[in-house]
Amino acid sequence: MMSEHWIPIAIFLPVVGGILIPLIGFCRARSREIYLMAVVLATSVLTTGLLVAPPADSVSVVRITNTIDVAFYVDGLGSVFGVLVAFLWPLATLYAFEYMAGERRQNAFFAYYTITYGLTLGIAFSANLITLYLFCELLTLVTLPLITHTRTKAAYVAGVKYLVYFVAGATAAFVGIILFYVNGGGLDFVPGGLAAGTAVLSPQVIGASFLLMFFGFGAKAAVFPVQDWLPSAGVAPTPVTALLHAVAVVKSGVFAIARFTYYSFGTAPLEGTPAQKIALSFAIFTITYGAIMAWKEVHFKRRLAYSTLSNLSYMIFGILLLTPAGLVAGLLHMLFHGIMKITLFFVAGAVACQSGLHYVTDLRGYGRRMPRTFAVFTAASLSLMGVAPFCGFMSKWYLAQAALAHGGRYAYLGLAAILVAAVFTAIYLLTIVIRAYFPGKSCEPAGRPDAGDPGRYMQIPLGIFALAMVLLFVFAMPVAEWIRSGVAGTFL
Amino acid sequence: MQETPFVLLSLTDTLTVAFRADAPGLAFLVLVAAMWTVAGIYALRYKDHLENNGRFFAFYLLTLVMLVGLSFAANYMTLYLFFEMMTLFSVPLVLHDGTAEAVSAAKKYLFYSIFGATLGLLGFFFIHAYGTTGDFMPGGVLDAGKISGNEEVVSVVAFLAVMGFGAKAGLFPLHAWLPAAHPVAPSPASAVLSGVITKAGVFCIVRVIYYQFGVGFLRGTWVQEAWISVALLTILMGSLMAFREKRLKTRLAYSTVSQLSYILLGFFFLNEIAFAGAMLHVLYHSVLKDGLFLSAGNILYRTRLEQVDDLKGLGRRMPWTLACFTVFSLGLTGIPPFAGFLSKWELAQGALHSGLLPYSWLAPAILLVSAVLTAGYLFPIVVHGFFPGRDACAERGDVGEAPAVMLGAVLLLAAAAVLLGLFGNSVLAYFFEIADTVF
Repeated sequence: MMSEHWIPIAIFLPVVGGILIPLIGFCRARSREIYLMAVVLATSVLTTGLLVAPPADSVSVVRITNTIDVAFYVDGLGSVFGVLVAFLWPLATLYAFEYMAGERRQNAFFAYYTITYGLTLGIAFSANLITLYLFCELLTLVTLPLITHTRTKAAYVAGVKYLVYFVAGATAAFVGIILFYVNGGGLDFVPGGLAAGTAVLSPQVIGASFLLMFFGFGAKAAVFPVQDWLPSAGVAPTPVTALLHAVAVVKSGVFAIARFTYYSFGTAPLEGTPAQKIALSFAIFTITYGAIMAWKEVHFKRRLAYSTLSNLSYMIFGILLLTPAGLVAGLLHMLFHGIMKITLFFVAGAVACQSGLHYVTDLRGYGRRMPRTFAVFTAASLSLMGVAPFCGFMSKWYLAQAALAHGGRYAYLGLAAILVAAVFTAIYLLTIVIRAYFPGKSCEPAGRPDAGDPGRYMQIPLGIFALAMVLLFVFAMPVAEWIRSGVAGTFL
Repeated sequence: MQETPFVLLSLTDTLTVAFRADAPGLAFLVLVAAMWTVAGIYALRYKDHLENNGRFFAFYLLTLVMLVGLSFAANYMTLYLFFEMMTLFSVPLVLHDGTAEAVSAAKKYLFYSIFGATLGLLGFFFIHAYGTTGDFMPGGVLDAGKISGNEEVVSVVAFLAVMGFGAKAGLFPLHAWLPAAHPVAPSPASAVLSGVITKAGVFCIVRVIYYQFGVGFLRGTWVQEAWISVALLTILMGSLMAFREKRLKTRLAYSTVSQLSYILLGFFFLNEIAFAGAMLHVLYHSVLKDGLFLSAGNILYRTRLEQVDDLKGLGRRMPWTLACFTVFSLGLTGIPPFAGFLSKWELAQGALHSGLLPYSWLAPAILLVSAVLTAGYLFPIVVHGFFPGRDACAERGDVGEAPAVMLGAVLLLAAAAVLLGLFGNSVLAYFFEIADTVF
């Protein structure tokens, strides 16, 4: 068992490491790469250690008032998010080396990129609502320069949108937290939430504060109607879109929802309330909305962003079923979707990098030009559709079984939405595959004529992800069981 | 008598990828293997007409692998896995020519199939939640305790699941991909697509109805009546469309739509006679439709003629091919002693014995009407082929009979059509044995 003091060290190591980059002012790419890899790998190793041998206690870093402090701890739910981040970050950093090669202002880029790692871990390991809120806000601020990195007009517009949505969301969430706190709710996360304590809150307060937090944190999880920042944010460099807008930022939103739902409110006070039904309705709507928008969109990265939007609501749907099976299924999809979607984005980035093309309609014949890249893309597409033998099938399976076990109108509606979305997923991804492999006769591929598979910094992560998707199909149950044992305490 | 399945993968406690050889699976496997071999040998010669041979044969064999897996599937999970994979691996066969028409047809095929498979997946979700076991059991696995109070939902899901797998078998309203996709594929691929892969949809429906939801749950419900109505509609519609179609391979594809619904109709009546008849028609239709598509392939190979009206006088140039075409046409119309008569006879008997008014008399009537239409869309080709009349235009001196290997494959199927017609009774007896296990 590791000492709890390692938790802030794991969180602040990449933060400090990131801040140091512009101060050191690396001139040579090689030395910056070695330094960055060392920081990121050390953080991942440390995080893995924390997950394998979790500290028993929480640690308070800053005491704001007698009752409010910034504190961290490692528990089952945080571990799920932590393991995802710790696995993906080193690979995404490797990918970013090649993607960003030749770009300007790399020191600034990698500084923010690495700081984000620490902040995401801070969210995963936060021990109370204030810490969670604080780190979500910091994440917004630090990722903003990453979106505007290219300094184009579109990037600034996206940046402003990003800021407006998240500040509005933060305000709502903050009001929700205050409302919850002043009426007697505890700030510390306790498995089971209110049910574990003695405080009695009126249903109106519970409903109002829950919905405020849901849509507040839900802005990060891109729940309709606070979803529009996500497709716009695709103007950022691909490593940002792939890691932050498919995994770290958006899943922080999902994670926050799971966290306050199960560890602040608890299932009993929410079960069957109008608040649960409203939240579920919005999640179900977002599932279908995202899938249909992805189908209509022809910009490669924006299409994937809409697909993310849809999939995030799969997770929220699972979580809001308020059953053990639903929570496990939602979290399982959070893990699996993280891997699938980062893969898809990496392919989109590799294609843009090699060919200069950004629209799916231009990719005719690219299956021949970039055979390995598109082989991985095909696998990831099938996985996201939910076809066996890839991991996407298993998380969808768990979600469906959770919905059926729950029963009732909303569960069936959600299941129907997921199946409809699966069909749209097939359409919006497989058309790309078909176009890439079967361009039609007498058709010269667009883009740079020398476009081929990317270098090994991009290929290695893609290969590992493809392998992971198959392995996680076979070993989905141990993963699900691990999640289940981690969150077992939340059902009282 | 159930043997323990061979478990390849345990995904969860109840979710496994497992295989077992049972009678319907083996029967389907024999059919798959035979047809794949014949069409494969045919393709060895036909490939002169194809570019990218390697790719064609790679996907041809991969599709076979998936069909073998499908035959041996011991539970719904495995069935779904291989069904989806079969779709994905057979798409490149449709795409093979790479023309704009092929690409749009392949997309249609892919998306209809995936939509159908998604409905099948819905059925799987429910069966897993409401069944006693995930394995296929003759008579079904529904847990009476769990479904009580939820009968209506389960019925709707059963209906949708069968309609979903029906997409593969060209069942209305998910049939539109079939006349688009089958003709654009190279002829050997059209033959197995129409003759065998569509039957995979039928096979899945048999598994879903007889081994998962169970006859007892479905018999006499609105679900059964809805299925029968849809099948009857598809039979009539397919035949009419085939009758109106002028392009030979598309006409054959519409004919497949119609004939597959004969088979589904048999399985929807939920009695032994119709069941055995439908099983027999699976076999017969595979042989006949493979033969028809390969004959069309011979014609294309030699003449590059696609339109039915251009085939006048072809009998003088390609007598053997057209003779075989005649045998298949007679069989498909249902004229004894060729394969095709006995199965339709049993189907009609099964309908009449079902006592399900008004379908018990409506079905045989529609079968007869459709048989007339079948004769109407196949016989003129034969008649004009052999007796072009004085103003014949197909005087192409250089056109001869197809290469020996290709002709041999067609002749083999014609011989099979005759022999299976003559000895249909012993095959039928075997199918009655299978029927006994599920009722």
